[in-house]
Amino acid sequence: MEPGRARNSVSQLRKGTLEYCVLALLRDGRRYGFELVRTLSEADGLLVSEGTIYPLLSRLRRDHLVSTSWQESEAGPPRRYYQLTDAGQRALADFSDEWARFRDAVDALLTAQGEGR
Amino acid sequence: MNVHSDELVDDYLRRLDAAASALPAHRREELISEIRDHLEEAMRREPASDEAAVRNVLERLGSPEEIVSAAQDPAPPGHLVAPYRETNGSAIVSVLLGVLWFAWIGSVLALFFGYRARREIKNSAGRQKGSGLATVGIILGWIGIAILLAGVAAGVVLVASSAGSSGGTPVPAHSRGGTPVPVHSP
Repeated sequence: MEPGRARNSVSQLRKGTLEYCVLALLRDGRRYGFELVRTLSEADGLLVSEGTIYPLLSRLRRDHLVSTSWQESEAGPPRRYYQLTDAGQRALADFSDEWARFRDAVDALLTAQGEGR
Repeated sequence: MNVHSDELVDDYLRRLDAAASALPAHRREELISEIRDHLEEAMRREPASDEAAVRNVLERLGSPEEIVSAAQDPAPPGHLVAPYRETNGSAIVSVLLGVLWFAWIGSVLALFFGYRARREIKNSAGRQKGSGLATVGIILGWIGIAILLAGVAAGVVLVASSAGSSGGTPVPAHSRGGTPVPVHSP
């Protein structure tokens, strides 16, 4: 099998789950853009290029899953903070359930190889 | 930051601005201001603000084109949107004329537009819908024509029978034989 195939599938998965990772980071309170970006890019393999997170944040805001507010910072210009809305909290909870089911199903199949023989 | 580092950042922002021209104005402004803030914050955290540090920050950020293309992505993967297909105009006209009928002129026009709609939909390679409508128009058109023909036939029969029953002039016996009756000119 060609080696790029698995990587491509994982990259699709990453794309689909990234927005929920952002929502999850906001679960315990608001954060500003740079902070979110750096946390995500330090999580292994979640973020290929940091800049692409900003369009995602903008989309989450347009979908009313997060709201934004400006806040003065001690160092430098004011920062735009992101926080979860009620709809964002529900979306995150729904995804968490679905993801747990999906992960368990995939894990079960991946680890069951060979037991059937 | 030294002059060369500033140039790198300016160049990056120029490219971002150019790439983002495809976005709606308010989203372009929002994106550019976010990236600017990011760059400032990132450089503040770098231990040294030399050219290498700037290059590292820009590299982690990703290319302007990549960022803009992420901003353009309309739907998350898996949400395939069916392409919009417009309904063929002739098909709609055909059904309307078929229904309105207009003393049979509508029926004839319904047939005309119905067949035209079918041809146009076929040539649109899937971009138009409405072949069902066109068929309805064509059927209504033919029904109209059939009613017209039936009416004409009934009228002819009626006229012929009324002419026959009124007993005016019985058909001459010799004309039934198939031999032509000579016409007497005055």
